[in-house]
Amino acid sequence: MSSSPPVTKQAAANDTEPSSGEPALRRRRRLDLLPYLLVAPLALFIIGLALVPAGFTVIESFFRVDDLDPPTRFTGLGNFERLLSDPTVQTAAVNTLVYVVIGVALSTVLGIVMAITLQHRFAGRSVLIAILILPWALPGVVEGIVWSGIWDANTGLLNSVLTSLHVFNHYHVLLGQHRLLTIALIELVQVWQITPLSALLVLASLQNIPGDLYEAARLDGCSAWAALRRVTLPLARPGIAVAMVQAVIATLNVFDQPFVLNGAARTASSVMVQTYFISFQNLDFGQGYALSLLITLVTLVLSFGVVKAVYRAVEF
Amino acid sequence: MPSIRQGARRVTAVAALACLALLAAACSGGSGASSATTGVTINVTLAIPAPPKATLGSFTKSTGITVNWTDIDWDSLQTKIAAASTAKTYFADATDVDWSRVGQLGKLGWFYPIDSYLDTRSLTADMPQLSSFMSGGHAVGIPYDASFLVTTINKQMFTQAGITSMPTTIDAYTQDLNQVKARGVVQYPLDIPFAAAEGLSTYWYQTTAAFGGSILDGHGNPQFTSPGSAGYRAAQWMIDALKQGLVPPGNINVTDSQGQQSLMAHGQVASVFGDYSGNVGSLYDVPSSSTVVNHVGYLATPEVSGPSANLSNPDGIGIPKTAKYPAAAAKFIQWFTSAANQADFAGLNGPAKALSSYNMPSRLTAVQQLTARGNLIGGSQLATILKSSARPVFPEGAPSWYPQFSNAVYANLHSAATGSQSVAAAIAAIASTASRLASGG
Repeated sequence: MSSSPPVTKQAAANDTEPSSGEPALRRRRRLDLLPYLLVAPLALFIIGLALVPAGFTVIESFFRVDDLDPPTRFTGLGNFERLLSDPTVQTAAVNTLVYVVIGVALSTVLGIVMAITLQHRFAGRSVLIAILILPWALPGVVEGIVWSGIWDANTGLLNSVLTSLHVFNHYHVLLGQHRLLTIALIELVQVWQITPLSALLVLASLQNIPGDLYEAARLDGCSAWAALRRVTLPLARPGIAVAMVQAVIATLNVFDQPFVLNGAARTASSVMVQTYFISFQNLDFGQGYALSLLITLVTLVLSFGVVKAVYRAVEF
Repeated sequence: MPSIRQGARRVTAVAALACLALLAAACSGGSGASSATTGVTINVTLAIPAPPKATLGSFTKSTGITVNWTDIDWDSLQTKIAAASTAKTYFADATDVDWSRVGQLGKLGWFYPIDSYLDTRSLTADMPQLSSFMSGGHAVGIPYDASFLVTTINKQMFTQAGITSMPTTIDAYTQDLNQVKARGVVQYPLDIPFAAAEGLSTYWYQTTAAFGGSILDGHGNPQFTSPGSAGYRAAQWMIDALKQGLVPPGNINVTDSQGQQSLMAHGQVASVFGDYSGNVGSLYDVPSSSTVVNHVGYLATPEVSGPSANLSNPDGIGIPKTAKYPAAAAKFIQWFTSAANQADFAGLNGPAKALSSYNMPSRLTAVQQLTARGNLIGGSQLATILKSSARPVFPEGAPSWYPQFSNAVYANLHSAATGSQSVAAAIAAIASTASRLASGG
């Protein structure tokens, strides 16, 4: 218990009584500004670095913004029409869809498996979590470079191991030859990166599940598999939904891995790679803004769909 | 309590000041350029490591200009230049001007014409590749190295295959590569970087030159559409080399530098048709990075008929319009590209003054000095090429739409290499892009 004496309203009022005798209302107004001023620097950052650029992106996506073809002029939906009829963008959109499907499915399943494995305490669990989080902490470019040493068709580790084990009788070209295989192998690198976060998000949900629910299920004759299906997964849905949303965002915006592992080849090019080329190579910023806006809208729609389908409020 | 009130006021004042400072910082654009040439600090951003500290220190001592050096990879640097110039934001006083971007930069006006600060006419004779940096009659930048494409061969492998005289024509070269393969000296004798990247485009340009032609005419129209044209035959030759097993199959994902460093430098291939000048001394003869020390040499680039051009691929330096101290930057560029410093950077006066990974000076006199002292392996051959057969890829200057064109080149040639489309389809797609861009579409 606190030993400080109770503070009455009158005493508190006396404490803040200004010596100049300013009206109480004016005094309160001045003091009320303080919290706003304290959050103002952060708010300015958010407004300046996120909201204003986002607003510009929306507005300028309806303009032709191309330094090589001045002046900037209104084109209505022109940028969107040109993008949607561009075969390179169409290919990249289909590729990106495949990235999303593979990435979200794999990272979610692996994340759940890892979370369930880590759910119970065991010796070295903390160290294992620290190690598991490493791929998530690495920049995508670094991961691309590391994995290029694994997938490489001339000197790659995977070819070397499989040839040594006589699984292959000669080195195979893994990236660039077959579209789906190339996308799958590149996405595997991203899955390696994003799965740890998925696992931690699901793990956070699992740790909220009371142990007596499992005890009750066991007494009711539930097998471990049934407990997983009927207790663990339904109650982990908030965490799984968040994990899936972060996977959707990451895979829709995949750039580093395809760019490092497959260059500018259209085989596995993503929409973000196309945004980069359109904006910074072709200097057609209007189209770049339009494509960015489209990616944002698709991200919002897909994320909303995932939340609607997977998320359920859970109360214990 | 007065102390609490004062504290609250102080916090409010500090918060308000912070907001004002942030607003001021956010609203402040680039300040006007200063003509100061002493007592200032300039930022130099290039895709190469900084010269030795002592060397930069001597520049500061003699001029009063301090240099902050930023080494950033080439691709990121191009993005930075585009982003900063579009936003009219300062990021460097002197930075990279790549030959391939000269047309674009000239049209955009993102860089000061360097001839407004330096007498470039007097440099022409000693800097043969200066012509690659001209746009609209003005130099956008100055070359600080003399990179050009040249053929390299592993002489030991060729000898092991029983080849006694070096090839001078494409046919003889192809025949020799087949012989190297047939004799089992190496499984895949030729390196062609088929990864969808700039190196594939430049390799094709060089091969086209060796087949006796050029890529675009002076108006930007494609010169490679007919099957008998040099560009078409060059593309066919490259793809055939891959299909016939002269090139490692994995090269569809190998870039130019990867091929040089991991294949040629480790005896995995016997030749690079379009290699970088200076690579023998700076890569293949360096024991820490190579297993073929003293085995690789330059070969006068084989051709079909007449003398083959060696296409220039130099890096340059220029002054962006957003620079704070353009005059000081010009002084630095003059110093950085001087013959004496170029020779030092290339190792004329020992490793203490050398610039790591620096291949070859852009100054002919510096190349000749290095050759005379025996500091440049293959120096006399390289000096001759630089003086007589090194040519710009585009004699009339790179078109402003070059980056888009190059993207079409490497994406389609890569696609042909993977078997996704035929050579004819790849050539048609590249030609279509060139025609569209040349007509302003």
